[in-house]
Amino acid sequence: MSADDKSWQKLVAAARKAPPIVADESAPYGFSTRVAALAFAQQPQGQSAFARLSLKAAAFACVLALGAVAANYTAIKGAFSEEPATAGGDDPIAEVVDLGS
Amino acid sequence: MPDDEPFDLAGCLERVRKRDQLAARELVEHLHPLVIRIVRSHLPRRVLEEDLAQDVFLKMFTRIDQYKGEVPFTHWVSRIAVTTCIDQLRAQKRRPEMRMADLSETEAEVLGNVITNENDVAPDDALEARELVHKLLDQLKPEDRMVIQYLDLEQKSLAEISQMTGWNQTLIKVRAFRARRKLQRFYRELTDKESK
Repeated sequence: MSADDKSWQKLVAAARKAPPIVADESAPYGFSTRVAALAFAQQPQGQSAFARLSLKAAAFACVLALGAVAANYTAIKGAFSEEPATAGGDDPIAEVVDLGS
Repeated sequence: MPDDEPFDLAGCLERVRKRDQLAARELVEHLHPLVIRIVRSHLPRRVLEEDLAQDVFLKMFTRIDQYKGEVPFTHWVSRIAVTTCIDQLRAQKRRPEMRMADLSETEAEVLGNVITNENDVAPDDALEARELVHKLLDQLKPEDRMVIQYLDLEQKSLAEISQMTGWNQTLIKVRAFRARRKLQRFYRELTDKESK
């Protein structure tokens, strides 16, 4: 055992001789009532019918949206790829320059 | 409930699971001494013991459906109390490094005696020795502090600490070894600074 170890053991041995701190260990007045009430307030008794319905509705809406995207995939893809050409054709400055030449 | 009647823990738990508030109150009253002992020994600075005990009980009620009876219920609750205290200790700001000037005259004298090994600590200085031990333990990480407090101050066995904390005995030994090494370093730093 090193000198530091010995001195630590000596110190804790002395600390153990200190009189124990006597304090009441029973629950303070009203503590158990408050804790029990808080505990049950935190735990709702299952989900309400509205919450369950909302979750189902959200899931159904997601499926519907995905289905709509899948059904119109070609149209959506085409719309994006054609956009630059259409935009170029509608350019008012280009039209003015064309008229001048 | 009369004091001389043994507490029917299994029956009480069954009633709590059925959301019986009276049973929940009885359970809190029954377990309060166990929880408050743990909370008091590992209470972070500026935290009220009642608030911390309340947190422990609320966690216990939230997780009560997860209790499968693999360990005694009191051990299960002890572990919740221990982890709640460790979380609180971790959350608190680290105490600044301790210096000799932070010690009272008697504490410095006690420290001097144990370091030089010249004199034993006088019995009258036991309170100061305890205060000094707590100041030194405050420098450790919460888990290390807890292990040293249980082993050296409260003289609990490895098996008892394992039951209370849920840590295996090898981990406890490793933590104790690491904590003692850190304590030795604090000792040396404290005395080196003093001698400079």
